[in-house]
Amino acid sequence: MKKLENFVKNTFKNYPKDDRERLIQSITEMLTEKVEDLMEKGMSEQEAIDKAVMEFGTLEDYEDNPKKIERKLKTRRTIKQYKYDIFFSIGGSLIIIGMLIYIDLQFTATNVVWFVIPALAVLWWPLATIYRYLLKKETIKEEDDE
Amino acid sequence: MIQSDIIRGHIEAVVLKLIMEQDRYGYEISNCIKVRTEGLFVIKEATLYSVVKRLEERNLIESYVGTETHGRKRRYYKITRLGNAYFKEKMKEWKELKVILQTLLEES
Repeated sequence: MKKLENFVKNTFKNYPKDDRERLIQSITEMLTEKVEDLMEKGMSEQEAIDKAVMEFGTLEDYEDNPKKIERKLKTRRTIKQYKYDIFFSIGGSLIIIGMLIYIDLQFTATNVVWFVIPALAVLWWPLATIYRYLLKKETIKEEDDE
Repeated sequence: MIQSDIIRGHIEAVVLKLIMEQDRYGYEISNCIKVRTEGLFVIKEATLYSVVKRLEERNLIESYVGTETHGRKRRYYKITRLGNAYFKEKMKEWKELKVILQTLLEES
C-alpha cells in the first residue's frame, strides 16, 4: 500500500500546501478501498494497485480548473515577498532615520530638530509596503470566498 | 466514451442521487456509475474525489467510518437534509435543461 501513497503524493506534489496532507490521506484511503475490492474479486495485489493507479486520472481531473491551483500558489508566493518587503523597508528606514539624527546632532549647531521632516518623508516607505501587503491579503480573502 | 466536460456540471447530482439511494463508499460510487451506464461513462477517481470533497465541504453529504463488513472498515457517505433539498433543486434544473435542449436541438 506504500506504493499507492507514493503515487498519490506524487500526483498532488504541486497542490497548495495548506490541505495537501489531508487530501493525500483521504485519497489514499479511497484508493485502498478500491484495491481491496478488486482483490476480493480475485485480482492480485499488484494488478489491483496498477489498475487503481491507471484509472485514477491526473491532477487536471481533480481540479476542473488547474489554473486556479497555479494562481493560488502564485499569490502565496508573493504574499511572502510582501512580508519581506515590509521588513526590508522598516530596516532601511530605521537606518536612514538613524543617520539623519546623527547628522543633525553632530554637524548642525542650531537647536532646530530638522531631522523630523525628512524622517517623516522616509516613513512613507514602510507605510506603502504595509498598505500593499494588506491590500494583497484582502484580495486573496475575496478569491477564497468565491 | 462521452467527453467528461459535457457531463461535469451534473456529476454532483449523480453522486448525490447514488448516495441518496443508500449510503455508499468511494469506490462503490464509481463502480455504480460504470455498471449503470454499462461502461459508457467511467468517472475517474480523481474527479469523483473532488466532487465528494466539495459536497462534503458544503455540508450536502457527511462521511462516517462504516462497520466492518468483510473484515475491514470503509468510509461511507451519507446524504444530509441540506443535500436532499439541493438534489431536488438540481433535479428541477435538469428537467428544465432537458426540455430546453430538446426543443432547441431536436424540434424545428
